[in-house]
Amino acid sequence: MENNYQLSRIHNYIHGLMSKEEMFQLEREALDDPFLQDAIDGYRLQNGVDARQLSLLQQRLNRRVEDTIATRHAQYFTWQRLAIGATAGVLFVTLLALLYFNHFNGKAERTTDVELSEPENRISVEPLLDGGDATPREGWKTFEQYLNKQLMASVRGGEIIVNFTIDKNGVPANIHAEGQPESSLFDEAVRLLQTGPKWQGTKGRLKIVFPVKDEKNQAQANVIKPPHCFGIAKK
Amino acid sequence: MNEKELLQHYKTSGDLSTLGKLYSPYMSLLYGVCFKYLQDPDRSQDAVMQIFEELIQKLRQYEVDNFKSWLHVYSKNYCLMQLRKDKRTMQVDIEDNLFESEQKLNDTSEAKWEERDFEKLEGCMQTLNREQQECVRLFYLEQKCYKDIADLTGYDLNKVKSAIQNGKRNLKICMERKENGK
Repeated sequence: MENNYQLSRIHNYIHGLMSKEEMFQLEREALDDPFLQDAIDGYRLQNGVDARQLSLLQQRLNRRVEDTIATRHAQYFTWQRLAIGATAGVLFVTLLALLYFNHFNGKAERTTDVELSEPENRISVEPLLDGGDATPREGWKTFEQYLNKQLMASVRGGEIIVNFTIDKNGVPANIHAEGQPESSLFDEAVRLLQTGPKWQGTKGRLKIVFPVKDEKNQAQANVIKPPHCFGIAKK
Repeated sequence: MNEKELLQHYKTSGDLSTLGKLYSPYMSLLYGVCFKYLQDPDRSQDAVMQIFEELIQKLRQYEVDNFKSWLHVYSKNYCLMQLRKDKRTMQVDIEDNLFESEQKLNDTSEAKWEERDFEKLEGCMQTLNREQQECVRLFYLEQKCYKDIADLTGYDLNKVKSAIQNGKRNLKICMERKENGK
């Protein structure tokens, strides 16, 4: 409002439409207001005020302001869409992951079976310390690995406790079993001990567990892993 | 909201329509200022819009106390920069610019006048050159407009204007010097 008032004054001033008093008044103001003075100078150079030009300029400003507001709205909607899109994406990925893991889980079960069955499918030894001080020279682990490598596939499952002494070469001797084990188990135990790694100590007492293959495999197939393991349980 | 509140509101919110409200009243004056320096209608319009664009950032960064005079100085500098980019030289009246930069001091000069101040003023009037003295008297004491003064004295209108501006400035300097001297 003040704006238009000033503008029409400038217009009148430049075109000599003012009384002398009014002219003086404006000049006086302009002396204290360099902004006004500059504007008057400018319009004088342009030979007057072009109202159309200025209203176009005003429109440009309005458009500029509205554009930004519109842009902001557009951005807002874009964000909304993005949010929906992102949610859908997350859901989709979750679904895929579920499907994948469900599928994977079946595999994992089988993998885990092998893992679980390992101790059962393998021959294991348990030193019974009350019976002696003998230990394999290369350690129990190596001995057990040796047993598993050398075990004859035909041997049936079962447990056997053997006592033996160790001769001066570190080879088990005087091997005899406790109780009445199956002779195939005993023979196999003797074979494994006598052809195996060297021992230290004087006498030993071992419990050897031979895997029971067929039956155990069936039993293991029934082992169900909790679904949340997703196969990660495999070590 | 008044101007100060609008300014503050814009600074905190960055709301462009607030800036529009703030800027819009000055657009026609700004156009005049831009035309004074750029002397081209289209460029001047673009300059007014471009200054608005720059304000979007600047007004959020700076603490602006007096928006009107800040805007004036900012716009003037903007136009001068445009001219410099053109590598076009422009004659800017140094007197004009001196006058303007001292303008800020003016606001405090509304003190009470005593008898001896008028004597001082009369003394200072004597120190002005003849043109300035003549024009200042006609303008301030007889309240004649520039055109009348030009007619009366035979000076060019622009000469009258700058004689008054410079005379006013010199008077002010003289008055302050006497103030401090005694």
